Amino acid sequence: MKLWNRLRAWVLASRLERDLAEEIDAHRRMLEDEFLRQGLSPVAARLAAARRFGNRSASLERSREYWRVRWIDSIAQDLRFALRLIRRQPFLTLAAVVTIALGVGANTAVTSVLQTALLNPLGLRDADTVVVAGVSIEKLHFRNVETSAVEFREIAAMRDTFSAAASMEGRWWTWEDKGEAMRLVGRAVTPDFFRVFNERPALGRFFTADDRQSLVLSYALWHSRFGGDISAIGRSVMLDGKPYRIVGVAPEHFRVPANAEAWTPLDLSGPAYQRRGYNMQETVVARLKPGVSFAQATGRVNRYVAGLLGSNAGRDIGYEGYGYSIGLRSFGEYVAGDLRRPLLLVWIAALLVLLTGCANVAGLLLARSAGRKREIAIRFSLGASGLRVVRQLLVESAVLGALGGAAGILVAAVGIALAHNALTIPGGRLLALVALDGRLIAYALGVALITALLFGLAPAVQLLRHDQATGMARSRRRFQNLFVMAEVAAASMLLVVTVLLLRSLWAVEQVRPGFNPAHLTTAFLIKPQNDPGFLDRLAGTLRSSPGVESAAIAYPLPFTTGGLTSGFMIRNRGQKAGEPEWHGEAYLVSAGYLKTMGIRLLRGRDLADSDSSAAPTVCLIDDRLVQTFFPAQDPIGQEIWMYKGWARIVGVVSAVRGTALEGVARPVVYYSLAQLPVFPSAAVVVRSSVAAVPIIRQAVRQVNARAPIFDVQTMEERIEQSLGIRRVVVDLLGAFALITVLLSAIGLHSVVAQVVGERTPEIGIRMALGARPAQVLAQFLLQGLRAGIVGLVIGLAATAYAQKWLASLLYEIRPFDLATFCLASLGLLALLTFAVWWPARRASRIDPQVALRYE
Amino acid sequence: MKRKASFYLELLPGTLDMLVLKTLSRQPSHGYAIAQHIQRVSDDALKIGEGSLYPALQRLLLNGWVEAEWGTSETNRRARFYRITPAGRRQLSTEAKNFDFLIGAIARVMETT
Repeated sequence: MKLWNRLRAWVLASRLERDLAEEIDAHRRMLEDEFLRQGLSPVAARLAAARRFGNRSASLERSREYWRVRWIDSIAQDLRFALRLIRRQPFLTLAAVVTIALGVGANTAVTSVLQTALLNPLGLRDADTVVVAGVSIEKLHFRNVETSAVEFREIAAMRDTFSAAASMEGRWWTWEDKGEAMRLVGRAVTPDFFRVFNERPALGRFFTADDRQSLVLSYALWHSRFGGDISAIGRSVMLDGKPYRIVGVAPEHFRVPANAEAWTPLDLSGPAYQRRGYNMQETVVARLKPGVSFAQATGRVNRYVAGLLGSNAGRDIGYEGYGYSIGLRSFGEYVAGDLRRPLLLVWIAALLVLLTGCANVAGLLLARSAGRKREIAIRFSLGASGLRVVRQLLVESAVLGALGGAAGILVAAVGIALAHNALTIPGGRLLALVALDGRLIAYALGVALITALLFGLAPAVQLLRHDQATGMARSRRRFQNLFVMAEVAAASMLLVVTVLLLRSLWAVEQVRPGFNPAHLTTAFLIKPQNDPGFLDRLAGTLRSSPGVESAAIAYPLPFTTGGLTSGFMIRNRGQKAGEPEWHGEAYLVSAGYLKTMGIRLLRGRDLADSDSSAAPTVCLIDDRLVQTFFPAQDPIGQEIWMYKGWARIVGVVSAVRGTALEGVARPVVYYSLAQLPVFPSAAVVVRSSVAAVPIIRQAVRQVNARAPIFDVQTMEERIEQSLGIRRVVVDLLGAFALITVLLSAIGLHSVVAQVVGERTPEIGIRMALGARPAQVLAQFLLQGLRAGIVGLVIGLAATAYAQKWLASLLYEIRPFDLATFCLASLGLLALLTFAVWWPARRASRIDPQVALRYE
Repeated sequence: MKRKASFYLELLPGTLDMLVLKTLSRQPSHGYAIAQHIQRVSDDALKIGEGSLYPALQRLLLNGWVEAEWGTSETNRRARFYRITPAGRRQLSTEAKNFDFLIGAIARVMETT
């Protein structure tokens, strides 16, 4: 209270002073009135009042004492002085502020992404102890994939470890509302789903075990479709032609997964859900019991699986030797997925930018403090204490820091806006949730001020140690060399890593997808109810549209999520020892798919319209499957069992990449879509010489307007997305590397330039005594480069040390790639040499006469 | 310009604050009226120097014991009226108690000769 009043008084001092002066004058006039009433003349009354009142300004001064806060006054003085200095040196100020702004901005933007993706996944409030269970099967290259219902029941039964567990399955529905078909995305979930996340409904209730055709809306959907009307509860809506009753609305912040619009109950009692390894489409979430650690829970699950595999029941499921396990991940890790490591890398890079900037500004301030020797000496001789002068310097750097922090927030805001545009990368939906909130702004300012203290400390400490400004130059040079070393080390690290990632990106881009993605447009749609001939008619309409070369229907498509992965059998052929597991991807395609995609038919025949549901089941296999399983045998006419009984192989096609250009590619089996019409959705692929998106929309509307279209993209966009995160990381790291490289060059340049400036007279004498310009040039070049080379070596060593960690981000390039290291080092060295050569050449051209006269 | 009153107040620090608070506890007043009141009630024994009154009022304001507001005096002059706050009343009762204790103690010392 008291301090607050005092601060207020300090801020309002001028107003208080006016009040007080006016008040005292009023008092005097009242005294005058009194004396007048007693019969004095006006002049005498005024004199008497003045005498009675005493010294007016002394009274004012004594009152003023109460408003003053001593230390604030003196800091205000420091501040005023700092602002004056900053105005007087606009270039130095600009350089420092821009450097800090870049460092702080990059850092804040990346931290905000990190917070949404890792620290506080999806903005959930209480997800710290939520884990996600996934199945790994080493031999099938399955890593943390979705589980079957069996694993969910096993996890849910571990009551000693998990307080609640739930399973979710991806769903989309066609919502028909007032004659309009809309696609709705969500999840079917078991009753405890919301309890796992410790959430309460915003309205209504969540599911109970008795719910069947019930629906919980997301908060956003409730607002967009029902205008936030409470009467939505209890209403019935038609999803896929079936009535669902709305029972509740999820809280606004609850978005699991990020794009969920609604949830329905999940019934796992059917016969399809009773076998391990079948219908692996369950995402199991569970909450750790209070007091149970993540490691304990993992141990519990591992012991369970070990017991299972060791028992007879385990042998029956046939998973021994497959490397089957159930793994737990934190919910944050599950959400961020593959984004985790790239994000951490970018975060570290942003930190390096910040540190480099910090070192650079410290170097600048040091150089300036050299120019202020005289001013500071005067301050000392006038009786300023060392601490007082140091505080002055720290206030100056704090002002720079605050300015830089403010500018950094702008940089971060721009960065986050850019992140919102990067929605096309996998996990990009997550980035849409990233926002610059109050906490992050506080973070940015905090980082800026800490940085300011760090770089302000160097000149200050140096001053304290050398009150009398003797030996200052040598100590300053030591500091400056240290800073330059740190900058060059950071720059070389970022440069090498960027080049490694860039070469990986190029290597991935060189991988051929196995088909021709140019001029291909794709879109997904949901088959309308009660319209069996829909897909055939749609394909026909598309093919006859002007500009369309060919069109086909397929499910799924390469470079989309949700492929059909399954084991298979070959008739009359057992698995041989040491052979890779029999596992592949299935594509259900219409006639004309190969032609549209540009997949070559190597042998046999293509699928045709005659391969209808009435005809015997046939399939095509790809080259990869032939090489592995029919190395010396004609596969045509053989039979394979993957999705629908035995299917006769009628053709062999070239291999394609299923989900990404990199990684493991599985063998592929193509079925005729007409013979396996099991999936509710399908995709159209159109090869056209004109823009195909309006053609597809028009065709679907014409054939059956009740089929919702979604996920419309060209094939090139889909491939680009699979590269997305690589490209984004390379772009960001490239930008960061560029900044640090430039900063380090500038830092080195300014140190050498300063040395040359200070030693001009000495150089002049040496030149006068016969030193050749080349000698002087070489001397300064070497001297200047020494710090740079030491920094380079440190940076390369650190990078080599961190290589192992990088390996997972690289593609077809060895972590310790000599060419990359040499290339990056030589490039950096060349730039640094140029930065030093400039002032060194100036030194070599010093005219002895001018130099000596200068003294 | 040492008057009896100011001498007295210097002897017992804080007494002026107490007197001002006591005066304001009856009704809000401006500075002149406060000085007048103390002088009149004490039969001219306590003359408050304006030189100490206004610093004292600033102190009371800063401590949050009184509030000030501009108004018009009885003689139609613009004047700043001070009003005691609840915190001021608490402070007054504390100071009054301390004062009683002090006076009692002094009296006992003076009685035992």
